Amino acid sequence: ESPRLGESLECQEQRARAVQRERYLRSLLAMGGRQVSFTLHEGVRVTACFGAADLDVANFYVSQLQTPIGVQAEALLRCSDIIAYTFKP
Amino acid sequence: MNEWMKKTPLEWQDYIYKEVRVTASEKKEYKGWVLTTDPVSASIVLVNFLEDGSMSVTGVMGHAVQTVETVSDGDRRVREKLMHLFMSGDCQAYSP
Repeated sequence: ESPRLGESLECQEQRARAVQRERYLRSLLAMGGRQVSFTLHEGVRVTACFGAADLDVANFYVSQLQTPIGVQAEALLRCSDIIAYTFKP
Repeated sequence: MNEWMKKTPLEWQDYIYKEVRVTASEKKEYKGWVLTTDPVSASIVLVNFLEDGSMSVTGVMGHAVQTVETVSDGDRRVREKLMHLFMSGDCQAYSP
């Protein structure tokens, strides 16, 4: 993680990017199968069991989505509709 | 695109292991220790240590981040915990 002597700025940046991406992917992996609570726009809060995300983080695939009007067995949450999510590892 | 999304990986790196306060869309506020920022979506992942000894992990989507302010620089114990979080081999779904 620390810059190596004589390494170009581009290399340092690439290395930092890889470390950060790996950690993010591992955090997604840890979320698999867990109950996650999502804060959506317009102050809506929903909980669901996290399944997967696509690589460009455009959608979250979830199951047992609990909404104010009932439970959706399977759903895709668009990441552009999400403000934040929380889970317990 | 907001300011946070325009930062470079080296700038995001400076926030790792620090305690920050994030303000997000619709006046939402989050506080926690930075685990990482996804370089693709700029989503920031925060860890909180709860009173009962457990942890909670919060991701704030990059597009919703408005400001990120450092609250404290952190200590060695937090650093140690975060460094190993999700990194151990007990994650069965992952096979390199």
